Amino acid sequence: MIDLARDHSLKAHVRPIALGAPASGLVWIGDAACFALGDGRVLAVESNGAVHGNGVVHKGAILCAARSPCGRAMICGDDVGDVRRTEPSGQSVLLGRFPGRWIEHIVTSAESGIIAASVGKEVAVWNRQSDAQAHGFSLASTVTGLALDAKGRRLAAARYGGVSLFYALSPQSQPLPLEWKGSHIAVTLSPKADYAVSGTQETGLHGWRLPGREDMAMSGYEAKTRSFSWNRKGTWLATSGDTNAIIWPFEGRNGPMGKRPQLLAPSTYLVTRVAFHPSQDVLAVGYADGAVVLARLHEDMFLPVAAADQSAITALEWDRAGQCLAWGSEDGHGGILDLRKAA
Amino acid sequence: MIDTKIPVTVLTGYLGAGKTTLLNRILSEEQGKRYAVIVNEFGEIGIDNDLIVNADEEVFEMNNGCICCTVRGDLIRIIEGLMKRKGTFDAIVIETTGLADPAPVAQTFFVDDDVQRRARLDAIVTVVDAKHVLARLDDSHEAMEQIAFADIILLNKTDLVTPQELEHVRQRIAVINNQAVVHETVNSAVPLDRILDQGAFDLDRILEIEPAFLDEEDHEHDDTITSISIACPTPLDPRKFMPWLQDITARQGQDILRTKGIIAFPDEPKRYVVQAVHMLLSGDLQEREWGVDDPRISRLVLIGRNLDPAALESGFMACAA
Repeated sequence: MIDLARDHSLKAHVRPIALGAPASGLVWIGDAACFALGDGRVLAVESNGAVHGNGVVHKGAILCAARSPCGRAMICGDDVGDVRRTEPSGQSVLLGRFPGRWIEHIVTSAESGIIAASVGKEVAVWNRQSDAQAHGFSLASTVTGLALDAKGRRLAAARYGGVSLFYALSPQSQPLPLEWKGSHIAVTLSPKADYAVSGTQETGLHGWRLPGREDMAMSGYEAKTRSFSWNRKGTWLATSGDTNAIIWPFEGRNGPMGKRPQLLAPSTYLVTRVAFHPSQDVLAVGYADGAVVLARLHEDMFLPVAAADQSAITALEWDRAGQCLAWGSEDGHGGILDLRKAA
Repeated sequence: MIDTKIPVTVLTGYLGAGKTTLLNRILSEEQGKRYAVIVNEFGEIGIDNDLIVNADEEVFEMNNGCICCTVRGDLIRIIEGLMKRKGTFDAIVIETTGLADPAPVAQTFFVDDDVQRRARLDAIVTVVDAKHVLARLDDSHEAMEQIAFADIILLNKTDLVTPQELEHVRQRIAVINNQAVVHETVNSAVPLDRILDQGAFDLDRILEIEPAFLDEEDHEHDDTITSISIACPTPLDPRKFMPWLQDITARQGQDILRTKGIIAFPDEPKRYVVQAVHMLLSGDLQEREWGVDDPRISRLVLIGRNLDPAALESGFMACAA
């Protein structure tokens, strides 16, 4: 149990990591935090500082990363059109090549074995059977965000004018359109796929309750929301895009409709990344000034983890046990908090 | 404060006008400066650069109740994504297709906070083919918009026309846009310091506005874009001028493509500078003060369609303090 009142000196248990390039994504594989970087490198480093691999595996800038369905590697996409699976050692396999395209979003599921990557107006899908692309889905405009439900079966793709829902494993899946005017730039699905929520260009969220597709609007944000995180029960959705972490209640029949969100960890800077602890109602929050804090639902208090260094947090992830938290920033600063030392 | 924003130059112009030639000059002659080049994926080929990004010119309406407020969704994504390559380039050049409307490109830099934080629009450069531009202006809406939006016009291929034809083209351009700096060229050959790092959208660098030299007779038909310049010798009352300007850009913003103004307020030593792209206004007091001997003349230029010069002028004059 993380005790925010007792663990007041978390900064002492942080190992700073010089990434050397902007962090695009971050995945924990076993004990290693694997950073996907803007110069094409994948840097795998343990909380004790031991480096597993630090090689250039992508020819372009890595734009996105997710854990492979098998859990032993990461799947990354870059800005020259490659999708690769890379192990912490640096050993890497090419999964797809889309010359001249940017691979901006990748989602994966250990449950269904699926990998989905956005390639312009297409979504390319791989399944457990093969390293070759299995099938794909087409949209009318560029895919600006992807999300899977907990089972890895429903796939949501954000786009201009709303979100399209697919059955990810089915090549013939016809899109279920969730329409709302304007440009949608990020999306998340609740673990049970009973809600889809998008971030909009005009700031604020738009939501749809499924399967009825009732609309919900969640406004009051200072900036665009790009980072979402559900708590383990799927009852709270944490979001970026404001100077507080904004957390919406999804308990009960009506979800957040008519309810107020919790505002945690206020700052003068925007929240850029949020990540719920895998088993507790503790939220890690990263800001545009490079600070990282931990906050607990229903509590006003929060604990500083990393000090501000003027470069926005762009990656923030807990390991599976919830013992270590890693982060990376736009200017290539990173760090790992090891709570086992704080205990 | 050091300006860490990446400068962005937009190249527009009809197919075959010489945009790609100009782009290649920029890339080859600007030694030591590294560019990220954003081109249309179906555009002209033959660009030699390390960092080329394919754009698909996705024009999106903003869901903010303003119907003419469109942005380039692809540019917002690309400028954000290029930050992953931060430090590997110094400037961005966007080459649009011949049929592109420059308004969404310009508006992207006004509307999107993330883009604004990272990049600044330096200038819109329009390459015009002296030989074919008159025919294009008759049959193409976009050709006229590209000239109307330009900060700088490269009147290219002047070797292919007679002096009389060239004079006719000059006059036609001046009717549409009397504020753009025009460089006459062959093979898009222009000193690059005349088109790069211009700060055309930088309020602090809008130094003067040329007076109008336009006859009423030049108005041809309703669809034609014209420039209107207005001047007022007495300082303006900000409590009158601001609401008036907001009102005309809100009501006529679809027709007004660009607005630029340098305004004198009573007892204010600094110049107030204002500009707009359609309805999107920005204005500020310029650091540079009026000189002791400077006549404090407020000037406003509007470039657009269906403009009523008499009504605009009387509205502007009525703002006098």
